[in-house]
Amino acid sequence: MSNSGSDAVYVEKLEKRFGRFAAVDKISFSVDRGEVFGLLGPNGAGKSTTIRMLCGIISPTSGYGRVAGYDIFSEAEAIKRSIGYMSQRFSLYEDMTPLENIRFYLGVYEVPQEVWRERIEWVLDMARLQDVRHRITRELPPGWRQRLALGCALLHRPEILFLDEPTSGVDPITRRSFWEFIDKLAQEGVTVFVTTHYMDEARNCQRLVMLNEGKIAAMGSPSEIISEVFPGRPGADLGDVFIRLMARRQE
Amino acid sequence: MNPVTIKAIARKEFYHLVRDFRSMYLAFVIPLLMILMFGYALSLDVDSVKVVIVDHDKTKESRELAQKLNASAYFQIVRQLNDSLVAVRYLDQGLTTMAIVIPPGWTEDLKADREASLQVLLDGSDPNFAGISRGYITAFVEAYNRDQLLSFLNRKGMDEIKAPVDGRIRVWFNEDLESQNFIVPGIIAIIIMIVGAMLTSLVIAREYENGTMETIRSLPVGGGELLLGKAIPYFLIALTDVLVAVFMGQVLFGVVMKSSFCLLVLASTIYISVALSLGFLISIATKSQLVANQMAILITFLPSLLLSNFVFPIGNMPKIFQMLTYIIPATYFIDILNGLYLRGLGLSHLGQSYLILVGMLIVLSYAGFALLRKEGM
Repeated sequence: MSNSGSDAVYVEKLEKRFGRFAAVDKISFSVDRGEVFGLLGPNGAGKSTTIRMLCGIISPTSGYGRVAGYDIFSEAEAIKRSIGYMSQRFSLYEDMTPLENIRFYLGVYEVPQEVWRERIEWVLDMARLQDVRHRITRELPPGWRQRLALGCALLHRPEILFLDEPTSGVDPITRRSFWEFIDKLAQEGVTVFVTTHYMDEARNCQRLVMLNEGKIAAMGSPSEIISEVFPGRPGADLGDVFIRLMARRQE
Repeated sequence: MNPVTIKAIARKEFYHLVRDFRSMYLAFVIPLLMILMFGYALSLDVDSVKVVIVDHDKTKESRELAQKLNASAYFQIVRQLNDSLVAVRYLDQGLTTMAIVIPPGWTEDLKADREASLQVLLDGSDPNFAGISRGYITAFVEAYNRDQLLSFLNRKGMDEIKAPVDGRIRVWFNEDLESQNFIVPGIIAIIIMIVGAMLTSLVIAREYENGTMETIRSLPVGGGELLLGKAIPYFLIALTDVLVAVFMGQVLFGVVMKSSFCLLVLASTIYISVALSLGFLISIATKSQLVANQMAILITFLPSLLLSNFVFPIGNMPKIFQMLTYIIPATYFIDILNGLYLRGLGLSHLGQSYLILVGMLIVLSYAGFALLRKEGM
């Protein structure tokens, strides 16, 4: 349990079983503060289960873990207050307007009333939704909804932002501007923890954990992982690594 | 339990409600329709019995009998017929509920002090109606006999005699025996179940179906805060519906409450909360709006309608159903409302029913809370 207090995320032998099936099989890793950290893997690898355990949505079967300095078994409430979470479904109420969604998040995160106005303007500017603040969210294009969902997850200024496949169903241009925004957040000191199965997104991460069938297949920076799996093959990229590692496991 | 969080959830729930056509329909249109339909259509009173009369005797006396019948507020002669078989056909086709046959020689028998029989055929397919009709015609025949007796005594120059027993009946509660007086309390109980339990049964299932339950779990929101916040808008709507029902009952049907208005609001508050807890429990257990709605109809709406002493008296039910009525919240609420509305009773008589409802509220809300916790909230 070395220096677990200063890491943004620290887990050791974290396990989640559904009956006899181990969705996450005793994994250990840590995430530095201010880092953009990626959890990469095919569908069913255990990415979502891991991120949901870290966010206090489901409780682990066994192991140890701290997020933002709080224990994931006993301090889920405190964790929820210090993190932002956005899932692939964009976590919005689609029958409400952007403004109403924002107010809902401000309320449940107990953001002090005196900063509401300022935060609302900040999110609407950031998500470029000023003109549609009174439109019903369902009618907005997916990319706009995604920006709104991201803004809602940041309203209470969390230390760590968890993104579960944040760009699925969004076009490449929107995805690019999304990642530019993530980089900006990281520069401001926010830790970003993201799951994905897109290689180009994984490249944006400073460090990666590759997950397959609940186990860690590789860990490190993108270039470290490439040279570890393909030593002496400079042309190889993350996609090759992914295919190689996932194929090896399935034999 | 943070009031800011609860308020944010209540506000969100309110938006869902006003933007969902079906919910608005259930919340406001159905209650209004029910008041009007039950109040006007489901009148259990029998105003006038339709009669066809077959007069084989054709005398002054037999015609007088028919006139007397028609003059009474309880009967309405729809047709004079000559053939008993045709009268039977009228009954078969439902054109009349009663056929009266005056046999030939009836007046002669009457004058000769022989038994003069009058045949009365009654449609028994609606037992309630037939029972009341039988009561009316029996009373009518008795009154006719009495008149005959009096005129006989008069003719003989004798004094009036008094009947040995004179039953003086006074109806204690609900003096006019207006069924609307007990229908209005019943409607209030049903409306609360519809608005309270059927609407809220959709509420948590909707979060599961839309995937937003995941969002809520990722937020610092406790199970108690979630349930309380969601309950507030539905509670207010149900209470509004109750007040509208009370008001309409008074204006349209002249049903005036005898006891304290505060006691009515108190009882409604408790009963609405019971309905909400039941709806939440169903919603958490089923996680599907369709299944939840079916369940809500089956375990809240129907029992409240059928097993609550509203339409069908509990005393007439088989033992096993009588036992079942004890676990139906509406039974106690209707007991309270009848007490308040018709009997003008206070808390000293109705306290037990209040307490039972409070007990149900504690059990149901705890069950919902525990189930939500088990689901990881």
